[in-house]
Amino acid sequence: MSDFLTASVGFILAMLALGLVSILRGPGDADRMMSAQLIGTGGIAALLLLGTVTGVPAAVDVALILALLATFASIAFVKKGLSRLEVDSTDGT
Amino acid sequence: MSYAGDIVTIASVSAGAFFFLAGTVGLLRFPDTLTRLHALTKADNLGLGFVVLGLLPQAASLRDGLKLISIWLLALLAGATVSQLIARSARQGGPAR
Amino acid sequence: MTGPSGDQDARAGITNVGMWSRAVSRAAMFLCLWLVLAGARPADIPAAAAAVVAATWASLYLLKPSASRRSPVAIARLAVLFLYHSIVAGWDVARRALDPRLPLHPGFVAYPTRLPHGVRRNVFTTLTSLLPGTVPTGERNGHILYHCLDVDQPVLADLAAEEAALVRALYNE
Repeated sequence: MSDFLTASVGFILAMLALGLVSILRGPGDADRMMSAQLIGTGGIAALLLLGTVTGVPAAVDVALILALLATFASIAFVKKGLSRLEVDSTDGT
Repeated sequence: MSYAGDIVTIASVSAGAFFFLAGTVGLLRFPDTLTRLHALTKADNLGLGFVVLGLLPQAASLRDGLKLISIWLLALLAGATVSQLIARSARQGGPAR
Repeated sequence: MTGPSGDQDARAGITNVGMWSRAVSRAAMFLCLWLVLAGARPADIPAAAAAVVAATWASLYLLKPSASRRSPVAIARLAVLFLYHSIVAGWDVARRALDPRLPLHPGFVAYPTRLPHGVRRNVFTTLTSLLPGTVPTGERNGHILYHCLDVDQPVLADLAAEEAALVRALYNE
């Protein structure tokens, strides 16, 4: 069982490496941010799997923190364009 | 750690890995920002969901299982919220630099 | 992101007693969350108490309690619908991403919603961002503008079904 889970961790890490390629490629800031989010989600999955394989419960806590940080990172990114967002929400009223 | 539990784990973690693959391939192949956003938010969160589902039979206690589920719910809520924020700014030509 | 009309749900005169019972039930919820995430250790009690109080205050401040009835059955039905839609959505994206011909007909669809501005509409857009092939991208003329992977799909009907389920679950007045 732990062999299978370790292999899954390897596979998901390979997907994360592809996500890095997509950060390099861009082209826009939003695309790079989405890749960063992919890496966040994949990192959470890899940590949860690793925590189970190695029996280190702290890995699950690290995954929890990663989930929080990925959210904050994306919100900080979007807040950069906040003035445009406010224009958008007022033209609907 | 029962036999049936192991089967659930293998099937579900494999499904999770498949959705991570699909999300990453979509991110690389889809033609524009908004379509890539579809790939990211949907396939990705589902991938994490299946990985969590697969780890539940291996969880040592009920609390560990609930913790895994709450991490997934947090990621799901965050993904759903962030995706519409990114979509709004992408439709308007990206955030101001 | 709630906008100027964000506390629309707070109207309909909530009494003081009702406010306290909401506060207690939310605090109980946060306490359960703490126990799940951090475990029960006597040394943690001060930190747990501070966290629960802060979380309850923030949640009451940011999300005003609404007076509408909530039906557990309808919420369960909404959760099932939501999970089902997430799986269909993920499968749909996976199929399109891995298909060598890359079958996409992307475009925008305007959905005329009956939900008022503010919290309710935000909940709806958050839920529907997980529907198959739709991502809400903001509003125009009071319609929610969705970006679709395939504009040939029955997107508007799906959205209407989701809105009806949401109203039944949370905003049944």
